[in-house]
Amino acid sequence: MEEKEDFKTRLKIAKSKLKSSSSSSSRETGSLMGSAFKIGTELVAAVAVGTIIGFILDTWFDTKPWLIIIFFFIGSAAGMLNVIRTAKRMQKEN
Amino acid sequence: MATNPMHQFSVHRIGPEIKIAGIDISFTNASLFMVISAVAICLFLSLGTKQKNLIPNKMQLLSEILYNFIAKMISDTAGSKAKPYFPFIFSLFVFVLFCNMVGMLPYSFTVTSHIIVTLILAIFIFIAVTIIGFIKHGFGYLKLFVPSGVPTLLLPLITIIEIISYLSRPVSLSVRLFANMMAGHTMLKVFGGFVISLGLLGGWLPLSFSVALTGLEILVAFLQAYVFAILTCIYLNDALNLHH
Repeated sequence: MEEKEDFKTRLKIAKSKLKSSSSSSSRETGSLMGSAFKIGTELVAAVAVGTIIGFILDTWFDTKPWLIIIFFFIGSAAGMLNVIRTAKRMQKEN
Repeated sequence: MATNPMHQFSVHRIGPEIKIAGIDISFTNASLFMVISAVAICLFLSLGTKQKNLIPNKMQLLSEILYNFIAKMISDTAGSKAKPYFPFIFSLFVFVLFCNMVGMLPYSFTVTSHIIVTLILAIFIFIAVTIIGFIKHGFGYLKLFVPSGVPTLLLPLITIIEIISYLSRPVSLSVRLFANMMAGHTMLKVFGGFVISLGLLGGWLPLSFSVALTGLEILVAFLQAYVFAILTCIYLNDALNLHH
C-alpha cells in the first residue's frame, strides 16, 4: 500500500515536470548542418519545380522558350519565400 | 567493383522475375531491406510491449521513449488536433529511421538513398495532407494560396508563387532525405577505398576519418528521419489550422 502512495507522488512530480518542460518549449533543434541543408534544399526545390512547370506549359502551348524563363524566375521567388518561412520557423523554435 | 563508390546503390533482382501487365515487380535487394526494416520494427515493438511492467525493462523503456518522443513532437508542432494522425507519423518516422539505421550495417543496402523511395513517401504525404486540408476546410483551403493584405495588382503573381511553393514541398522533403543518405554513404565508401589504395603505411588517416564519418552518419540517419517526420507535422499543421 505504501508503495502505491509513493508511486502516486512520483507520478505527480513527473507530470508536473512534463507540463513545465512543454510550456518552456526549449526543444533541441538538431545540428546546425541539418538546418543549413534544410534551407538549401528548400531553395533548390522551388526553383526546380518552377522550371519544370514552365517546361511542361511550354510544350503544351508551344511557346518555347518564354514560359520556362518566366516560371524560372517565379520559382526562384517561391524558393526565397520558402527560405524566409523556414528561417522564421527556426527563429520561433529557438 | 569494390572500389566503385556507387556500386553499393545498384538494385538487383533476387529470385525469379515477376511481371504483371508489363510492369516489373520482381523482388529486389531494395525490397528485401524494406522487409528487413519492417520485420525489425515489428520485433522491436512487440518485444517492447510484451511485458507491461510498472517498472519497465530495457526494451519496454526504449519503445516508451520512442512513443513519447513522437507524441511530444506532434503536440509541439501540430497541436492537439493532430492526435488522430499519430499512428501515421509514428510509423513514418520509425520506418525511415530503421531504413537509415539498417543501411548503416556493413554489406547492407540503404533503401532511403534512392530518390524513388523517398519521393513516393513524400508524394503520399503531400496528397494525404492536401486531402485532409480539403476535408477540414472545404474550398476554404485554397485560401492558403491567397495571403491576406496583398494589393490586388500583385495577387495573381503571389498566388502563382504560393502554388509553386506548395508544390515544391514533396520535392524538398524527398531530395533532402535522399541526398543526405546518398552523399554520406558515398563518402564512407570513398574513404574506405582510400584505406585500401594507401595500404598499411598511409591508410590510417582515412581509416580514422572513416570511423568518425560512421558516427556522423548515424547522427544524420537519425536526424533526417526526425526532419522528415517533423516536416510532415508542420505540413499537417498547415492543413489543420489554416493560417499563414
